[in-house]
Amino acid sequence: MTLIDNAGAGVCVQQEERDARMELSVNGQAHDLPDESVDPAMPLLWVLRDVLQLTGTKYGCGVAACGACTVHVAGQAVRSCVLPLSAVGKQPVRTIEALGSAVAPHALQRAWIEHQVPQCGYCQSGMLMAAAALLAQNPDPSDAQIDAAITNICRCGTYPRIRAAIRSLARPAPAVPAARRKPPKAKP
Amino acid sequence: MKRRGFVLGAIGSGAALIVGWGAMPQRSRLGTRSTLPAQADGIALNGWIRIAPDGGVLLAMPRVEMGQGVHTALPMLVAEELDLPLARVRLVPAAAETIYGNVALFLAALPFHPSEEEPGRESGRLKAGRWIVGKLARELGLSVTGGSTSVVDAWELLRYAAATARAQLLGAAALQWKLPVSELNAEDGVVSHSSGPRAHYGQFAAAAAGTPVSDVQPKPRSAWKLIGTAAPRTDLAGKVDGSARYGIDVRLPEMVYGVLSMGPTLGGSPGTMKTDAALRVSGVERVVQIGGDTGTNAGVVVLARSTWHARRGLAALEVEWRPPPARLIDSERIAVALEAVAREERGLAFRSRGDVDAAESAAARRIEAVYHAPYLAHAAMEPISCTARVAGGKVEIWASTQVPDFARAAAAIAAGVPVDAVTLHVPYLGGGFGRRLDADFVGPAVRVAMETSGRPVQLIWPREEDIRHDFYRPAGVAVMSAGLDANGLPVSLRVTTAGDAVTPRWIERNLPWMAGPIDLPDKTTSEGLFDQPYGVPNQRIAHVATHSGVPVGYWRSVGHSHNAFFGESFIDELAHAAGRDPVDFRLALLADSPRHAEVLRLATQKAGWGSALPAGRARGVALHESFGSVVAWVAEVSIEAGVPRVHRVVCAVDCGTVVNPGIVAQQIESGVIFGLSAALHGRIDIVGSAVQQQNFPDYPVLKMADAPRIETHFVPSERPPGGMGEPGTPGIGPAVANALFGLTGVRARKLPLGAVNSGSP
Repeated sequence: MTLIDNAGAGVCVQQEERDARMELSVNGQAHDLPDESVDPAMPLLWVLRDVLQLTGTKYGCGVAACGACTVHVAGQAVRSCVLPLSAVGKQPVRTIEALGSAVAPHALQRAWIEHQVPQCGYCQSGMLMAAAALLAQNPDPSDAQIDAAITNICRCGTYPRIRAAIRSLARPAPAVPAARRKPPKAKP
Repeated sequence: MKRRGFVLGAIGSGAALIVGWGAMPQRSRLGTRSTLPAQADGIALNGWIRIAPDGGVLLAMPRVEMGQGVHTALPMLVAEELDLPLARVRLVPAAAETIYGNVALFLAALPFHPSEEEPGRESGRLKAGRWIVGKLARELGLSVTGGSTSVVDAWELLRYAAATARAQLLGAAALQWKLPVSELNAEDGVVSHSSGPRAHYGQFAAAAAGTPVSDVQPKPRSAWKLIGTAAPRTDLAGKVDGSARYGIDVRLPEMVYGVLSMGPTLGGSPGTMKTDAALRVSGVERVVQIGGDTGTNAGVVVLARSTWHARRGLAALEVEWRPPPARLIDSERIAVALEAVAREERGLAFRSRGDVDAAESAAARRIEAVYHAPYLAHAAMEPISCTARVAGGKVEIWASTQVPDFARAAAAIAAGVPVDAVTLHVPYLGGGFGRRLDADFVGPAVRVAMETSGRPVQLIWPREEDIRHDFYRPAGVAVMSAGLDANGLPVSLRVTTAGDAVTPRWIERNLPWMAGPIDLPDKTTSEGLFDQPYGVPNQRIAHVATHSGVPVGYWRSVGHSHNAFFGESFIDELAHAAGRDPVDFRLALLADSPRHAEVLRLATQKAGWGSALPAGRARGVALHESFGSVVAWVAEVSIEAGVPRVHRVVCAVDCGTVVNPGIVAQQIESGVIFGLSAALHGRIDIVGSAVQQQNFPDYPVLKMADAPRIETHFVPSERPPGGMGEPGTPGIGPAVANALFGLTGVRARKLPLGAVNSGSP
């Protein structure tokens, strides 16, 4: 389920679309990508940053090592710097810009502020997207599960606060009425 | 030589000039209304503060935000003095004016021993030195964010600027209402009188502007409402929703993306080049060669319609890289050479006390040890970039830089225009750690932008270029010996370190007109050793400054980053040699350093020093002062699969007056994790002038799974604030190393401590 698997397995999936105009669904919006500016092999990160100008998703290493580029593709956290556009296809992409909104922030965004997590902040988009995908799959992750799921790099050392912020939202699934939980779902 | 003579002479005669030194510096840096011209969004009262029509404050902000929280801490000082909620202080970029220069940075460079620096008991020599250096620094007016000095520098100044503005506003209100100023009250930006009148600051700004500035005093400590509270950071909303803009996020109409390659070696240059294949890559526009004259290595830039297209073009480019003209650099050879000079040469003594030779020969025992530290890269999360637009004799640049004045100068030199023709925008910095104290990445971006007919260019260094072409934390070696008396207490301490001095190299690169024919002594080489706090009657603490040819730069906590490892490991060795508990041993030597003793006591008490631990775990301790703050670390460590694992770190800190304890705790956590990455994994190896590491897989840093629990405890203090951006870093390495000794009985004298999976992803 990691991005690298996606990247490896997905390269040929959308070959038939190569000649058509490419379409990309990002944050609930369909984008026509002009053939002359994108290429099926272009990693999603650079489509987001340089073509769609969605710069909230960051470049950190380009080799899927740091996770600054983490976004959701069909609800899964993926490292977009190594995920070619051809592997995304029609799957919905969600970026930090649509994790929440100003009026309705994602619970993690509120927790991030409550725990005063960010310092320089550069890695935090990727951290939040990784954490949101984790909580969507596992509403009550243990410290070990958090460690295993979030392998992103932060040079400011915000890890202890990230863990605390995630844990502050973690709750045993059955104990909480469904209405109080806000599972981060990709917008339709 | 000439300049040094001048400075020393001035210090000698300076005593006569100290009179009146107290309040003047703040007054001279207040600026005037014209420094911060009145604009539609407010009326300037001085060079720092503009009052908005709604009564809020616009604060000129010359320091950059790179995670250290300065865009929260500095406005807090102003909000406190003006009795405003923090949210009503908005930041506006400061212009390039000398009043915004960082004076504290230069004062901190004076190599005085802490015994001369105790607030209220400063030596005459120190006062004179500070007077002359302060004057020079104010003339120079360099705006620098670094050296953990932002709050230190702003502490008196911003409170004075805000208190002055408040006095002017209240004076104007008193005049308008014909009421005695002493009867007026100010709260939440509203001036009022018990008889009824109420109005916010905006209504008095015009009348207050230009009124005489009386000598006001900032609030007494007892009146503080905001200073000392963990006020939430002001920069987080945009950092959790992706809207915060870093240098690399600049997007301009018609912008073209460039990717830089500087080749495999330090100082190499592109030779024969075949561009056909690169130019055939779709989206690639052109290939531009960068000479070595733009403040960086020579290299090649591919311009394309996206960063990715440019990288593809670069991959298709056939370049025959020429090796550097100088002798090839080899880091292993350097380490051997450093140890040799540290053993053979006396070096420059930064501290000399008593008679070390005599004490050593009379000592009951003599302990000697040699320690090594490697080169390190910064690897800030935001890769290096600069965006530039050159058109009509004007240059506009966007750069995440800690040195805005140097960035503008570099752009002006590259474009051949006067500095006034350069406009600089500084977005957020995605980490700095000292890397962005060099503006080497500006010149190349401007040069490339001169080739694009006015189209803006964003020039990005891929992560690999960042790691392979950094200004590295210099490698260092320490040869240390101590003579112990019959009770095991040290009667002599001799330390000779060797390594490149950062400051002279940095001055050569960034302030070439200040570079002399010889290197002046660089305090950073010996900091953390010459000023170590333990009472040893005979000391000689010296450094041999070398010229390795490796590009070296400031790296979070600079000399402290390795000197704390040397010093705090060695004192642990002495404790064990004496058969004493490492904490008791240190405390026995801290009779004349009560501040340090207090910090050590608090940390060890909170950590439960001496209490039982699970099997396989041990505690290690370290104590270190840097940037005016004293920190103690207690690390709980085990060994898992042959690799050290740090479970818990308890820190105590005395950083003087605490402006924002929340941010201080953040900086302790940050410093600990940054230092732990270096202590466990950090090493840059250079073979044949080629840096062997290039990205996070082979330059590993700490991740979530390795991050310990970290606690921060404060020793209350009413001293002026010390720095906090760096002091969390130096001691974690020795604390872990000292714990490892408890586990293994083997003393780790070489960094990094952990197994390094060099070369394998």
